[in-house]
Amino acid sequence: MKKKITIGGIGSVLLGDDGVGPFVAGMLEAGYSFEEGVTVADLGTPGLDLVAHLSGIDALILIDSVANGAAPGTVTLYRKEGILRHGPAPVRMDPHSPVLSESLLIAELTGEGPQDILLIGITGEQYEVGAELSETARQAASNAVTEVLAELERLNVSYSKLHAEQFSAWWKPLAEALPVIAGPKG
Amino acid sequence: MSKRITIDPITRIEGHLRIDVEVENYAVSNAWASCTMWRGIETILRDRDPRDAWMFTQRFCGVCTTVHAMASVRAVEDALKLPVPANAQYIRNLILIAHALHDHIVHFYQLSTLDWVDIMQIPKADPAEASKLAETISPWTRNSRNELKAAQDKVKAVAASGQLGIFQNGYWGHPAMRLSPEVNLLAFTHYIQALEYQRKALQVVGMLGAKTPHIQNLLVGGVANAIDLDSQSALSMDKLEQIKVLLDEVVTFINQVYLIDVCAVAAMYPEWFKIGSGVTNYLAVPDLPLDSNALAYDLPGGVIMHGDIGGVQAFKTASDPIFRESVTEDVTHAYYQGDKPLHPWQGETEPQFTEWDGEKKYSWVKSPRYKGQPMQVGPLAQVLVGYAQGHPLTRKYADLALGQVSAIAKINATPAVMHSTLGRHAARAIRAGMLGELAQKHWQLLVDNISKGDLSVHNEPVFPWGEVEGVGTHEAPRGTLSHWVLIKGGKIKNYQAVVPSTWNASPRDENGAHGPYEASLLHTPLARPEEPLEVLRTVHSFDPCMACACHTFDPSGRQIARVKVL
Repeated sequence: MKKKITIGGIGSVLLGDDGVGPFVAGMLEAGYSFEEGVTVADLGTPGLDLVAHLSGIDALILIDSVANGAAPGTVTLYRKEGILRHGPAPVRMDPHSPVLSESLLIAELTGEGPQDILLIGITGEQYEVGAELSETARQAASNAVTEVLAELERLNVSYSKLHAEQFSAWWKPLAEALPVIAGPKG
Repeated sequence: MSKRITIDPITRIEGHLRIDVEVENYAVSNAWASCTMWRGIETILRDRDPRDAWMFTQRFCGVCTTVHAMASVRAVEDALKLPVPANAQYIRNLILIAHALHDHIVHFYQLSTLDWVDIMQIPKADPAEASKLAETISPWTRNSRNELKAAQDKVKAVAASGQLGIFQNGYWGHPAMRLSPEVNLLAFTHYIQALEYQRKALQVVGMLGAKTPHIQNLLVGGVANAIDLDSQSALSMDKLEQIKVLLDEVVTFINQVYLIDVCAVAAMYPEWFKIGSGVTNYLAVPDLPLDSNALAYDLPGGVIMHGDIGGVQAFKTASDPIFRESVTEDVTHAYYQGDKPLHPWQGETEPQFTEWDGEKKYSWVKSPRYKGQPMQVGPLAQVLVGYAQGHPLTRKYADLALGQVSAIAKINATPAVMHSTLGRHAARAIRAGMLGELAQKHWQLLVDNISKGDLSVHNEPVFPWGEVEGVGTHEAPRGTLSHWVLIKGGKIKNYQAVVPSTWNASPRDENGAHGPYEASLLHTPLARPEEPLEVLRTVHSFDPCMACACHTFDPSGRQIARVKVL
């Protein structure tokens, strides 16, 4: 039985370096193929629906921007204890607030949570609305890819590199052709 | 003497709901709802291809992804007067329903039950008694003594470890908690089971939308799902059958567990049918279109003013002219420039940040108004608007729920009790019941239409050189969502999203009228002001969703909340 592994990028692609997690997920999806049982996902900015993505799997690898006071572009690794150190937020005012630790605790309660958890944190530089990834975050994204692959090797999961074209990034036009415009000009 | 309580879950990057209440003699005497994050994301859309907009709007919020995608394609289609093939309508409807069922289940069990259920009472429960009690109210097969005991053992293990994990911050033992140990155990067992069924609902979204949380199958003018009943790579009969099985399982959970639990818990806290009404103007838009031109819908929309259910005004379509003309946004108390309410097509989003000042500006949320009035949106608005119009499906599930509450609580629960905190929970469960039935109906409509030989899923959009305006609406899990777009020469000129939580969390307007959260908190009794559980009950009943955009993980533990009593 092959291991079930989820590699998830977390963050908002519309807010500068907060989108670095989904960016790394995009790099992995476009550039590598993985053995059966591995899912690569751009998880965006989930609430407790995150529980659905981390239940029933053996290992979880998340990539997210972090605010840890390190120099922008630093890649820091966290295991379960580091993530859960402070427990859930004391008051759930808005029930959809960022809930990585709450989601992990719920999955743990049901016994369906992953055995292995790795959070690859990238310290961001800027979080401006509509901004592209900073050059710093882009370089860190490559380092994060290396960390993901190292974790897969540790878990004895095989992958191979593809010679793929670059995947389309968010701030470029997405549609393949220009829209059809007709009728009187004016 | 009044006390000021601030409830402010501080997160790494600002973007959450903050509530301030003044308390006098153990009751709320004044309230302010504010959002601490700038939501200027709409500006990203200027000059973009309108066909791409939905991919961006889907990223407005990580929880309500599909709803913003759907409202966006509908806005562009409305501007172009572009019909959508019937298959595309049904596929979209199934996605919207599955997403809503997932959302409603998570809201009640994972996000709200612990406001009413005292986890620390569970070790005292007798699982055999609890199982017997459950048998009297539901045919659900997973209420066995063994299943209940397994759930109880989980709580016992957590309690014995001294590390309460997910439960470490509840208001356990609070005097406002009143369920018996057995009812607490039943509700918690269903909390665990709910995780399974909400996942099944999400699977349906993923199967039809290609991916979740961000669906990939939408197009302005339809959907991108290839339909071929015999092909494994397309939407096949095999795949449709799998979807049906998942939907049926979710529907059973809703009818035999969710709906029953909400009624049972409500019946044990009947005083909460008298607390938390607030703004009794209600707004809902029609949704789940039944045909290509969206002339008929399975969910009715309309407006009720001042709680006058008999005086309901119905909307004929999802972009009814009355709705189009009546919406404005006011920024008197929001951190934006501007001196008069503006229609969303003329809407501006120019920030003007000042310190939090309850008398002046205090929120990043604008104040949407309908004919100048604050409106409550959400399942309660939808159920009341439907009930008032005599909509048979709404009546069926509403009467069922009210009957159940009346029987357990030995009261006469009329539709009037719905103007309340518990009314919002009950309405969400009623809506889930309705949506479950409609999921099965729209699945059949899709299969029947395909079987007739209609495989079309998309109409190509053509843009005019001149300016066109459109509004796309969706009756989302949290209520009426509307996206407003101005398009010129195939490019977006202006874009505004008026989201459900903006209606409900809006600050005061130019006339000083409270928004729905604020108004609903007035007069709420507080047993222990330093543990404002009652405030949370009412705020949670709206299913707020504010922290939509930024998610940076903070390992330093600054992700703490503050309950400050002055």
